[in-house]
Amino acid sequence: MAETGRLTAPAAAGGWAALPLSRRVLLLRVFIIAGLVVIWEAVAASGLLFRDVVPSLVTVGQALVNILTVADYKANIFGTEIMIPEFFRHLWVTAYEVLTAMLIGGLAGLTVGLALGSNPFLSGAFERFLYYLGPTPKIIFFPLMIMWFGVGPGSKIAMGTLSCFFPVVLSAAAGVRQIDKVLIRVGRSFRVNTWQMVTKIYLPAMREPIVNGVRLGLGVAVIGTLLAETKLSNQGLGYLIINAYTIFEMPRMYALLILLFGVSIAANALVGRASRAK
Amino acid sequence: MGGTMPSNPSVGSDSAGAATQPLLVVDDIYKQFETAEGPVVAVDHVSFDVAPGEFLSVIGPSGCGKSTLFNIMGGLLDGYDGHIKVAGETLRGPHASVGMIFQEESTFPWRTVVDNVAFPLEIAGMAKAERLDRARHFVELVGLDGFERRYPSELSGGMRQRVSMARTLASEPKILLMDEPFAALDEQTRLLLGDKVLQIQQDLKQTTLLITHNLTEAVQLSDRILVMTYRPGRMKRMVEIKLPRPRSSEIVGSDAFGHYVAQIWNDLREEASKGLKDDEARRGGTRR
Repeated sequence: MAETGRLTAPAAAGGWAALPLSRRVLLLRVFIIAGLVVIWEAVAASGLLFRDVVPSLVTVGQALVNILTVADYKANIFGTEIMIPEFFRHLWVTAYEVLTAMLIGGLAGLTVGLALGSNPFLSGAFERFLYYLGPTPKIIFFPLMIMWFGVGPGSKIAMGTLSCFFPVVLSAAAGVRQIDKVLIRVGRSFRVNTWQMVTKIYLPAMREPIVNGVRLGLGVAVIGTLLAETKLSNQGLGYLIINAYTIFEMPRMYALLILLFGVSIAANALVGRASRAK
Repeated sequence: MGGTMPSNPSVGSDSAGAATQPLLVVDDIYKQFETAEGPVVAVDHVSFDVAPGEFLSVIGPSGCGKSTLFNIMGGLLDGYDGHIKVAGETLRGPHASVGMIFQEESTFPWRTVVDNVAFPLEIAGMAKAERLDRARHFVELVGLDGFERRYPSELSGGMRQRVSMARTLASEPKILLMDEPFAALDEQTRLLLGDKVLQIQQDLKQTTLLITHNLTEAVQLSDRILVMTYRPGRMKRMVEIKLPRPRSSEIVGSDAFGHYVAQIWNDLREEASKGLKDDEARRGGTRR
């Protein structure tokens, strides 16, 4: 009796169970966020921790507004000098570093991946090394990168490049191997040259693994770059955050973390949208 | 005309005194593969030729080296003895005059029907407007007009195989090679597509070589049928099909058709049962 009652949800009972699943999920999410806010504020007001380790969300909000609105940096954009919040300069530096790293590391990964995937000799010789190096934390190479590329954006780009190369190369190599062999035979029967084989058959056939590799690559490139910025630099978002921490401006640090979170979500959404486009 | 060809071509038939120069000459092809259990002879000294406009089928049981022969004639496989001549030229790699239609699903899933068909023209460097125009013509030829902008995933298996056919025809090959193009399709679709092939072949006077293990299909379409032996793949018999043209799938019910099918099956049965026995023996061997 009880079982049958559970199987057919009692619509007449109303309340929680009568709501559609999506609404229940939404309500739960709102509840979780509201709960976290309440707990956070309670801890902040209690004075149990050192001042500002858990600042009130009101001060964090104020810091956030300050970061985004107080124009305290003289920027030179296409020859015209205007005042902008300094945050955007640092955002630009990090974006520039990550995008350059993606470009270099992504193209290198794609090229090497294509070579490894289509040549059993090369993959036999080199792929094992890549598998072992892939999961190694790339930050251990940072001292080396500073010596080679200096303390400026060069070493950050190098760290990002190094990070994103591995996921791209491994998914590209695997992507080549999963191409339907008959498509390659079709290409050969129509006498395509190597360039046409790559651009008109390999790359379109590998779309999915490439997008996945780029997605993973973007994630680790951001990590590599930010990590490098927090270690040794005087610009970029990583520097801003670690600087706020060093001078113990906790509300500002939390505000920066929230902003960084937003930027990451936006970047991921962009890649996701690009991967769905036909 | 295929009818003037000798029905039992001898080895090295270059000197055959036919009035028309053969379009495809297969001269004493021998191919063996190295396997874990030692070398296996796939094709054992096979020779024949195909006249312009002729439709020739190669029939044999699984394991008779048909597909090996197909890949050799298409220039996709080397390391064989003997040689292949296409329109008088000795074959070295894929040849512009040879068009191949594969047994497997081979449309490009990321291209629409018309872009699939335009592929060989794109490779040849034809301007976009012109190649799309030509591609549309071939899409129409295989009866897929209205589906130009669809993707292969939106089509049935039979339709996709027709896209492959249109794509190969668009490259305007002098000789069309088909490797069991309808093997994955059901019998009705197969017969109806056979009609399509007959009609196209009659419209274009397309010289065609069909690899198949399907008797009905072979008799329905061919001027001549080469029956192959089971491993090693040798020539067993060349049968001339003197059914009137133009044909359609209706002839499948005629007495003459049944006569040819029975005759070829007689040859084929022996080879097919060898293959079956061999297969069973191998399975038994691994069990012990």
